[in-house]
Amino acid sequence: MASNPPPTPQDNNVAFVEESLYEVHKKIHPRAVSGVFATWRWALVWFTQLLYYGLCWLPWNGRQAVLFDLVERKFYIFGLVFWPQDVFFLAILLIISAYSLFLFTAVGGRLWCGYACPQTVYTEIFMWLEHKIEGDRNARLKLDAAPMSGRKLLLRAAKYGSWILLSIWTGFTLVGYFTPITTLWGSVWNFTLGSWEVFWILFYGGFTYLMAGHMREQVCKYMCPYARFQGVMFDPDTLTITYDQERGEPRGARKKGVDYKAQGKGECVDCGICVQVCPTGIDIRNGLQYECIGCAACIDACDQVMEKMDYPKGLIRYSTEHAIEANWGWKEILGHIVRPRIILYTSILAVICVAFVWGIATKATLRVDVIRDRATLAREVEGGLIENVYRLHVMNVSETSHRYSVSVTGLNGIDMIGERILEVPPAAAKAFTVQVRVPPESGKKGSNTIYFDVKSMADEKVAVHEKATFLQP
Amino acid sequence: MQKIFWVLWPSFVVAGIAEGAFFTLIDPQELYLFGEPVHLSRMTTYSIGFFGFWLVCAASSLLTWFLQRSASEVNKGVGAQ
Repeated sequence: MASNPPPTPQDNNVAFVEESLYEVHKKIHPRAVSGVFATWRWALVWFTQLLYYGLCWLPWNGRQAVLFDLVERKFYIFGLVFWPQDVFFLAILLIISAYSLFLFTAVGGRLWCGYACPQTVYTEIFMWLEHKIEGDRNARLKLDAAPMSGRKLLLRAAKYGSWILLSIWTGFTLVGYFTPITTLWGSVWNFTLGSWEVFWILFYGGFTYLMAGHMREQVCKYMCPYARFQGVMFDPDTLTITYDQERGEPRGARKKGVDYKAQGKGECVDCGICVQVCPTGIDIRNGLQYECIGCAACIDACDQVMEKMDYPKGLIRYSTEHAIEANWGWKEILGHIVRPRIILYTSILAVICVAFVWGIATKATLRVDVIRDRATLAREVEGGLIENVYRLHVMNVSETSHRYSVSVTGLNGIDMIGERILEVPPAAAKAFTVQVRVPPESGKKGSNTIYFDVKSMADEKVAVHEKATFLQP
Repeated sequence: MQKIFWVLWPSFVVAGIAEGAFFTLIDPQELYLFGEPVHLSRMTTYSIGFFGFWLVCAASSLLTWFLQRSASEVNKGVGAQ
């Protein structure tokens, strides 16, 4: 950037020096790493993926426990059934997720990116396969440089093959959350998969393959919107992966046991391992950079080197800007977690979570819509009575079949013809037609308010009191 | 390559959100196409809907990218100075 030529007078506007924002991509071969944080990441890989690949196979009350049935427009989550009318809960869930992310980021930096983001998790799994098949960093670099041979072809085929199988399974699992997975599995073997099902399996599988196999850190660097704005949540008390410059510099190679202080050196042995393990290929010693996804691979790697050198661990560690400046220990860092920003995020999150749980717990299990038949406003029937026709749309949102009693009130002498006992199967909606009859002298001319009462015969508390209008000519 | 991503990626994300919001509120069976009720299965309508949204969003991203070109880039092809 500093080498940009100065503006020339020929340019009648400000000189534009067009530079590609993106350097030519070099394939990054991160060195495998083990340690405390790598173990944490693997724990989360196992946890999230057992959940993802496993949950769709779990049965519940004779159906799939978690099923987003798009065709029937109903979402089942264990004992709960959500209808499109419940989109409100989905919105709250998204707000909760967003605030949790803000809170975690403000406290611990990019914890999400480093440990739980699907991009990280799948990249980790794909890299593990790559490592098992092609060997570690040096072997892979060698293989990349080597000319095509039988061995290279075999290794490449095994790697891409295993990636493709895993991707297809991932795509299949995704579709299995939208179409009952046991039926889907059956139709794979009968060759009766629907064309859209095949399409979405391949679409999602293809994206998994592309993102985890080939794009990797580029997704975080160029595609992820969160990576671009996460800095907003940071403050000088946010934990980030930090290289202790004061302790490490001036860096330099040395033999074990040499008095480096006498040589005027810091504790960084300049082995470059922190750069080799970095999945985004940065040098953390240059300070915090937006490419850093907070995976802590460099901490694990550096700690191993420090151990070998008999130096104290933590030359690269989780620390905060303030802590590095003032040489704080963990006690002071933890003491600074409680601060206005954190209190604000936590209290908003707590309020929304309570509202969400309360909303779910008190979610109505019966809904009734009353629609007046618009074809006939009002008509006179036998006995001089005036009749209005209504359609009752009764939605049973519970998991059991219910019988409901219907009654109507609000006008003198009001009565109804039609079914008085309505039976609705679990998680289903049914429409019923009812004729309401009223003596002509009852109520006023024009519209009168009447009420329909729909009550479950098994549980008195499951009841709906719904307003409607009765037209008196 | 990057330009393709600039156009296709943000539009993909926004299309996903639009698809979710639209079909949560509207049942595909209640849609009319040229005055005729849609006879396609819900799965087909959802899928076509998603690609429809993606296409529209991509058109918008494409236009943004097109208008973002600097003056020097636009002038590049004009005459020899």
